[in-house]
Amino acid sequence: MRTSRYPRRGAPHLRLRIGFVLIAMVLSVFGARLVQLQGIDPGSYAAMAAAESMQDVVLPATRGDILDRNGEPLAESVDGLMVIADPALVNTDEAGNEVDRAPELAKLLATKLDVDYVTTLERLRRTDTRFQYLARAVPAADARAVVERARELGFDGLTTQRDPIRVYPAGDVAANVIGFLGTPLADGTPQPLAGFERTFDAELSGTDGSARYSVAAGQKIPLGEQTVVEAVDGRDLTTTLDRELQWYVQRVLRQTVYGANADSGVAVVMDSRTGEVLSLADFPTYDANDPLEADEADLGSRAMSDVYEPGSVQKVLTLGALVDAGRVTPRTRLTVPPSLQRQDRAIGDWFDHGTINLTLAGVLAKSSNIGTVLAADKFEGDELRDYLTAFGLGEPTGVGVRGESPGIVPAGSLWTSQTQDRVAFGQSVSVNALQMAAAINTVANGGVRVDPSLVRGRATADSGEEVGTETVTSRRVLSEDAARKTMLMMERVVDPEAGVAPGAQVPGYRVAGKTGTAQRANAECGCYDGTFTVSFAGFAPADDPRFTVYVVVQNPRNGGGGGSVAGPAFSKIMGYALRRYAVPPTSTKPSSLPVEW
Amino acid sequence: MPSPATLRQRAPRLAGAAVERARLTVVPRAETRAARLPFVSLVTVLLLGGVVGLLLFNTSMQQSAFTATSLEQRAAVLSARQESLGMKLEQLRDPQEVARRAQQLGMRVPAAPLFLDLSDGSVAGDPAGAQVLAPVLLEAKAPPLPAELAPATRVVQPPEGTLSGDRGNGNGNGEGRADDRADDRGDREGRGDGRGDAARSDRGGRNGEASSDRDRGGDRERRDDRGRSGRDR
Repeated sequence: MRTSRYPRRGAPHLRLRIGFVLIAMVLSVFGARLVQLQGIDPGSYAAMAAAESMQDVVLPATRGDILDRNGEPLAESVDGLMVIADPALVNTDEAGNEVDRAPELAKLLATKLDVDYVTTLERLRRTDTRFQYLARAVPAADARAVVERARELGFDGLTTQRDPIRVYPAGDVAANVIGFLGTPLADGTPQPLAGFERTFDAELSGTDGSARYSVAAGQKIPLGEQTVVEAVDGRDLTTTLDRELQWYVQRVLRQTVYGANADSGVAVVMDSRTGEVLSLADFPTYDANDPLEADEADLGSRAMSDVYEPGSVQKVLTLGALVDAGRVTPRTRLTVPPSLQRQDRAIGDWFDHGTINLTLAGVLAKSSNIGTVLAADKFEGDELRDYLTAFGLGEPTGVGVRGESPGIVPAGSLWTSQTQDRVAFGQSVSVNALQMAAAINTVANGGVRVDPSLVRGRATADSGEEVGTETVTSRRVLSEDAARKTMLMMERVVDPEAGVAPGAQVPGYRVAGKTGTAQRANAECGCYDGTFTVSFAGFAPADDPRFTVYVVVQNPRNGGGGGSVAGPAFSKIMGYALRRYAVPPTSTKPSSLPVEW
Repeated sequence: MPSPATLRQRAPRLAGAAVERARLTVVPRAETRAARLPFVSLVTVLLLGGVVGLLLFNTSMQQSAFTATSLEQRAAVLSARQESLGMKLEQLRDPQEVARRAQQLGMRVPAAPLFLDLSDGSVAGDPAGAQVLAPVLLEAKAPPLPAELAPATRVVQPPEGTLSGDRGNGNGNGEGRADDRADDRGDREGRGDGRGDAARSDRGGRNGEASSDRDRGGDRERRDDRGRSGRDR
């Protein structure tokens, strides 16, 4: 090296130094860049790098279905898409010139999708935006087909986005219980607004998953980075309702309310043995697919949220309790005066009569207030109140329906003898329809009260409460003998000669029931305003009950009572239920308890 | 143990020649020339085969990834189709729809069932009582019209001695004419309402008529029209 073979190269030390300085300069540039990338906001650069080739996809969880007891869908989820347009792109031709293609496209969309031509046209002609919804919640297959077709015809600017659809195949069937979803948020999160949809949202909704993978030219790179978190689909919610029966009950109820020119109606069908609610019908109701069309007051469940005075149906509970306490028997003889003067007022009957001799069975069959009050005098202390509480009055049924109102049983301090007189025949006490159905079902179920239930298995409501058939408890309220005697008395109610509600009979079957015609309390005046609540509760076959049916009609304007308005509806519903569940008649002799003496 | 010295002393005695033969000597290295060609070609083949195989493998993976993606897309399309067909099926299975068709065929709900015992041919139930019921009312009543769409009928008595068709041909005084015109307007308004009702009850949406109404400038008709398009939306 030191030889003169390379005479032109300068001093090696100098060269080395210069080299090192150059290297140091380059390295320090690298270092500075490193600090810039990693020291200052490294996250955003990492994200930018990932965005180049990584794709993040949300794997949407499917919302659980709401099913009836036979697995028929009451609410189900369908993959849907929204069709979105960019008006600017739509109205630009291939050469980039502005053209008016909105009418053509609007025509195509109006014929293929269920959208209004004029509205679509207006949206497609807007110039102030590049994002317009054209159709929402379109079944995915239809939406894709339309967008594909539009592309074939040379339209640009149409895209689709996920927009899950919730379908209620049976429309208004059980809508008051099931509830509905509102328009989903922009990211497709559903908005449960009412009913079970909202109460059990946590169980129904599931958890979205996510997938992350590298892509190139729109294709996944095999062996590329890929992580998948599978979505956890929502759980199906199975109710105890029977869709077919519920449908029929709703139609019968509607016809009944129309026929009586009434305000509203409620009908409950319970399985007598298990307390499962086979039908919980409300009228007026709404189509769950189109809840905005309905009056807001119709969106809840009147069967659970409206409380009213039960009227004479209450006499079943009063007399059943009396028989259970051993104070009376169905043959106990009572002398019923035309009117009964009590401490603060006179108690009368719904029918004019002189002094008549009725047995206890007759008091129930003829629905005599005076007779009931006379019999209830045999209670000691708060006995009646305790019985009513045991029947489940005054406490919520806890079936999971939102906005349940527990009704009122006067507190012990307010329980005077006058109160007791009125409570005995169903005034000064208020109930919701399901409560009362469960109370009457106690008699049907041999004196054991079973909690009603609307959900099969168990489910956690949004209040944290566990509901469902698995959480049901039962308690004995009446002795088996007392329940049987009460049943025999109730059977006289539908007897054409002895009772007041022959219209409630189901041909071929033994039916036990009770009518109710109660004055309605008006909150505004704090008085009875002259309107009525008419009802009929009963069960069949009387000697081996399978179903308890309760029909309530609010404010009939045709002058009808429990027997003439609710009775025939009861008969239709019961006949249908017995047929649907193939319950044969028991072919035993009906009750022939004497009603007079 | 005999020491090596003793061994050496003993060895010649045993077999001197054999020991001589057994002694290790350095042999010259044999110049073996293994054929180079097979090895080189083996390595080349291995290398080339590896590279080409890898390439093919990669290509086929890529290819199958494409296939997988397109199949996935197809599966999504098909499942969406299945869902929409399922939806249509559910619409047909809707109890309301089934009942509507059944009633069209003349089927009715019986008041109570009868049971035929096949073993002895006996019938349980009440054959006399188990009559069919009237058809189920399937459709809800149309909701009542909002008050503004159903105004109370205005009955206007024409003033005595004046004909309603008489549009002030100069035979009355000024005041009378004013009254007359007011009455006339009321009358026309009434007719307009009648027309509006007809258009409303006809749900087919007779747009032509509505627009001709609008042309006539009836304020109320226009409101009605707006109401209707609102409903459509």
